Amino acid sequence: MASLLETNLVNGLAALVMLAAFMMVASSRMQSLVRTFALQSLALGALAASVAYLTGAEHIYIVAALTIGIKAIAIPRFLSYVMERINVQREVEKIVHTPTSLLVCAGLAVLAYYVAAPIIEQGTVITRNAMALSLGVVLIGLFMMISRRKAMSQVIGLLCMENGLFMAAISATYGMPLIVELGIFFDVLVLVIIVGMLAFRINRTFDSLDTSFMRRLRE
Amino acid sequence: MLELLVAIPIVSALLCYLAGTRRAMEVCSALGTGVLLAVSIALGVQVFGVGAIYEGTLFLDSFGAFALVIVAFIGLMTSLYSIGYMGREHEEGEFPLGRLRLYYALLNGFIFTMVLVTVSNNLGVMWIAIEGTTLASAFLVGFYNRETSLEAAWKYVIICSVGITLALLGIILAYASSTKIPGIEATALDWTTLMNVAPQLDPTLLKVAFIMVLVGYGTKVGLAPMHTWLPDAHSQAPTPVSALLSGVLLNCAMYGILRLHLITSASIGPGFSGTLLLAFGVLSLAVAAIFIILARDYKRLLAYSSIEHMGIIAIGFGIGGPFGVLGGLLHMLNHAVTKSMLFFTSGNILLRFKTKAMEEVRGLGTSMPLTALFLVLGALAITGSPPFSIFISEFTVVYGGLQQGQYIVVGLMLLFLVVIFAAFLWHVLRMVFGNGAKDKERGEVSRSNLAIIAAMMIIAILFGLYLPDFLGHALDAVVHLFQGAVP
Amino acid sequence: MNAVILPVIQALFVLAIAPLLTGIIRKLKAWMQSRRGPPLLQPYYDLYKLFRKDSVVSKDSSWMTTVAPYVCMTAMLVAALLVPVFVTESMGFMGDLIVVVYLFAMARLFMALAALDAGSTFGGMGSSREMLVSSLVEPTILLAIFTTALIAGTTNLGGISSAIASSGLDLVRPALFLAFAGFFIAVLAENARVPFDNPATHLELTMIHEGMLLEYSGKQLALMEWSSMTKLALFTVIAWNAFFPWGIALEAQPLPLLIGIVVIVAKMLVLVFAIALIESSIAKMRLFRLPNLLTGSLLLAFLAVMTFYVL
Repeated sequence: MASLLETNLVNGLAALVMLAAFMMVASSRMQSLVRTFALQSLALGALAASVAYLTGAEHIYIVAALTIGIKAIAIPRFLSYVMERINVQREVEKIVHTPTSLLVCAGLAVLAYYVAAPIIEQGTVITRNAMALSLGVVLIGLFMMISRRKAMSQVIGLLCMENGLFMAAISATYGMPLIVELGIFFDVLVLVIIVGMLAFRINRTFDSLDTSFMRRLRE
Repeated sequence: MLELLVAIPIVSALLCYLAGTRRAMEVCSALGTGVLLAVSIALGVQVFGVGAIYEGTLFLDSFGAFALVIVAFIGLMTSLYSIGYMGREHEEGEFPLGRLRLYYALLNGFIFTMVLVTVSNNLGVMWIAIEGTTLASAFLVGFYNRETSLEAAWKYVIICSVGITLALLGIILAYASSTKIPGIEATALDWTTLMNVAPQLDPTLLKVAFIMVLVGYGTKVGLAPMHTWLPDAHSQAPTPVSALLSGVLLNCAMYGILRLHLITSASIGPGFSGTLLLAFGVLSLAVAAIFIILARDYKRLLAYSSIEHMGIIAIGFGIGGPFGVLGGLLHMLNHAVTKSMLFFTSGNILLRFKTKAMEEVRGLGTSMPLTALFLVLGALAITGSPPFSIFISEFTVVYGGLQQGQYIVVGLMLLFLVVIFAAFLWHVLRMVFGNGAKDKERGEVSRSNLAIIAAMMIIAILFGLYLPDFLGHALDAVVHLFQGAVP
Repeated sequence: MNAVILPVIQALFVLAIAPLLTGIIRKLKAWMQSRRGPPLLQPYYDLYKLFRKDSVVSKDSSWMTTVAPYVCMTAMLVAALLVPVFVTESMGFMGDLIVVVYLFAMARLFMALAALDAGSTFGGMGSSREMLVSSLVEPTILLAIFTTALIAGTTNLGGISSAIASSGLDLVRPALFLAFAGFFIAVLAENARVPFDNPATHLELTMIHEGMLLEYSGKQLALMEWSSMTKLALFTVIAWNAFFPWGIALEAQPLPLLIGIVVIVAKMLVLVFAIALIESSIAKMRLFRLPNLLTGSLLLAFLAVMTFYVL
């Protein structure tokens, strides 16, 4: 069994990732949303690095470095750049207010715990406890996408889901084969770039990034 | 050998992007897709004759070869059709040459991602390819840069990415279900490996994995209730792209679901995954029926019809047994051919009438007689009338259903098919008959387009009357794969 | 014998040092704002002055106004007896953490009711706002301290601190930090600190805690002020001894006792410094934004409980 310090380190970082997800839901400014996302990715990279250190699996180091490089630095920079160019309003427009959102997310976290319970029992890796938290982060990301109006905040919700997924991958199986991880990173990067380009065009056409304006296509 | 296959569309995409003149682009694209089709058929012959080709991360078995040939064929047809259609729009000044170059490059890139889906062994690489299809087609959907195109592209990217993220969770769980089995660490994400150790996989994890993959890839397939992006994306995209999306992309996403269905069936029997497929299939049929009645835009009408047919495919595979699977497979092929043909026909209408609203298209029979003929025949084909191919595949599914005792499902399916038949023909016949506006020019829009449509129509009738031997053998091999998977 | 004398000494210690803590906060804030500030012992002078003055009571008020200050002060005294300050022995046999939390709640209830008693509008406003804040703060405090109780395996505050302190780093978990974060925000809320309430304000429309004290004068005012200061001191003590109690005396020997006193004074100063820093750097939040922050802290406490079970 892993020593107490190791387990605590891993679990502490996993808790930090989930905490960052909640902080994202509570953010009321776009800039703080992006920064909290960067924090979450940083914690995730640190988690991957500590798993790599504790298990001696070298390829996870590369993945950790990629997480920090792409998700914690490159993507937040890119998103801030896009928001600056488009002159996005600073407020995160919410459909559901903060206290209610936070309580709903707490409920989702409990749900994730119950769903993950049978999976955790079967696990053999030291990080299996983080599976419940990962599912929680995925659900919270999904909720964020549903309950926010701005296009950019929906994208960050999607990226939060991807973070949760990555943590699930680490907590279930110490990550997936390197090629797959690389491909996934590449996909996420291209996705963000495409979304950024689309956001530019949307802003040029609709003069705003509020997705509730996009209601033209109906029966 | 398989690397060569994957490299062909990438090379043609590059060449198209570097091409100088419009003629060069068109030739590059057409040649590229033609060569792709030739190589695919050659590989298919080898697979069906000799056996599966296994090259580590890339892998081609009978099912893969079947899907690959469909992709390549529709890819070629779309390339040829684009010459006429996009060429015409460019001449009318809709967009400059630079955008046309981007179009052809993205088109071939899109085909590349779909080819990669059909030949990947590693589930993770398959996921990357399916996500790649969303990314490659995002700008194709939003090609016209109009408000509606952008809205469609946005919904498409966001909803499909959410779905695919959930599917990735499913794949992670599938990978996790194999961790207790020693010795397969390095290739545990390979489909071949997972099939070999299927009985030893953890059932709970696998079940959850299948549900996530069904919901996730099902979003890309357009199964209800995750279908909301489909009508927008398929109607706003340029017509050749709509044909590719409806005809082939949905097939590729279904391919992904079915690969996991095979693993789950080998592990815990086909009952669990089959029932889920049935449920989503029937729901998709119901939703499609309702919206086909309400449709007011003919491209959206065709998009809802795609949802309907994907539902039928899901029902076919959900029913299982030799006839259910055969019906599902045949339907994948027939739907691809027929739906593409219908989209091409609607492209002709769009070129002339410049509007997608069915209200404003009247008197097609008098102004564009050949197109109107193909439209009516296509409508009959897509709704399942004999002597067209769709009738045969739907009949096979129904037969399989009755054989397996799924009376309720078959009853519902027939009910919805009848409703869709009535509604679809009502819409189409209103467009064809009657007096059109007096000031519309008469005469067809593009001879070459019509030739392509005619060729596909012939295929549809051909397969409706008679199944060629090679196709029969091929289908037998794939059905055997599905049957053999059951422990 | 020790079991009675030590807690009484602890309680008197807390009562005596409470005004000093308030004085230190005010002095620190003044320094951070480049002022000289009042003398450190000013709160003592204020209390002394108030005790010698007459009280003026509104003739529309009832017995509640006379009783409330005594109830509040008594509640604080009893709570001080139950909380381990520099040694883990407290009169825990009388009650555990739940009793302590509800003693605070009782004090708050009487304060709010008495504010309504005089019939002035500002009192009513203060009461309703106080109740708004407390409806979210109480669950937070309970959940946060409950996490430590779960970790230590007992709800007796003395037992909690001795369990965590004597086990070295074994019992440290992420849940502890999350709970502490939530609890710290709750400390700010309960004691009417920025960003919840500005304790130095004289604008009645922005008052929460001060608004409830407007009707008091003389001895009653002295008692109310003292009980608020004691509440602050007790909260800082609980914040340290329930979450990070290392340094506390585990037995009633002279040397550990000495170390325990020094350690708890140092810890109190650290927390007081943090509060002063926060008060000087953040602006008070508008009333309708308070539920956001409070729900956030409730969530932190909830997460603490959840990660305790999950991780």
